[in-house]
Amino acid sequence: MPSQSLAYAVLFGHVAFIVVGALMTVLSQNLVRALVGLIMTLFGVAGLFFLMSAPFIGLMQILIYVGAVSILIFFAIMLTQSWSSGDEAQGPSRKRAVLASLTALAPALFLGLTVIFKSPPSLLVAEETEVSALGRFLLEPYILPFELISLLLTVAMAGAVILGFERRKQR
Amino acid sequence: MSPMIIYHLVALFLLCTGLFGVIYRRTLVGMILGIELMLNGAGLSIMASAQLTPTPNEIGQVGTLLVMGIAAAEATLLLAIVLVVTRRFKGVEAARLATMRG
Repeated sequence: MPSQSLAYAVLFGHVAFIVVGALMTVLSQNLVRALVGLIMTLFGVAGLFFLMSAPFIGLMQILIYVGAVSILIFFAIMLTQSWSSGDEAQGPSRKRAVLASLTALAPALFLGLTVIFKSPPSLLVAEETEVSALGRFLLEPYILPFELISLLLTVAMAGAVILGFERRKQR
Repeated sequence: MSPMIIYHLVALFLLCTGLFGVIYRRTLVGMILGIELMLNGAGLSIMASAQLTPTPNEIGQVGTLLVMGIAAAEATLLLAIVLVVTRRFKGVEAARLATMRG
């Protein structure tokens, strides 16, 4: 069936995009280039959300992550002057690379085997949810998490502002 | 291989790459990149679990939205913390952030 193979081609295209972006994020010497890799990954994940027929969440992913979070990280890179000439210039030692690989391999092994062998049967195509249903769900049964996330955002912003103020030296 | 397994493997790959990055990077900003990767993997996994099984779809979508909100809050706070650390230690290299070394 040609449409199904086309769907798989699109899916694996997104997966390849994500893999390349994530490896760039982790391995690139230049932090700005690593951020570009992160943005690639975020776009790829947004594409996967679109493929899972959740276009609202895909758009939110692009707005929140690509629009806000990566700009914040870019500010962090600029304000700390940690680009290629800075602290990240000389690469990490080989011992640390080995340790990091072992740490990453442990969950990959266990969770990977669990995912492959214990996975419940899945639908082939997800059905779409209307945004109005999502809003009703968020304001009726899930009102408490909704209010809590608002509170968390407010507290985080206030904390960031307080941290950012430089305290005057007392003489 | 069902589509859900593929989505979950991608999420697992993001988790492992994020872990690798958090340990491998020398600076705090590089670690933030790894944390963002891990959070993205979590959102993808939640979404795949809800969309491709008979679970009600709203749970997965709202869960992913909450993960995004938490990521935004966390990024804001991390930016402030990184600024304070830069001001105090004149750099964001993680190995140098020790005031009392035995």
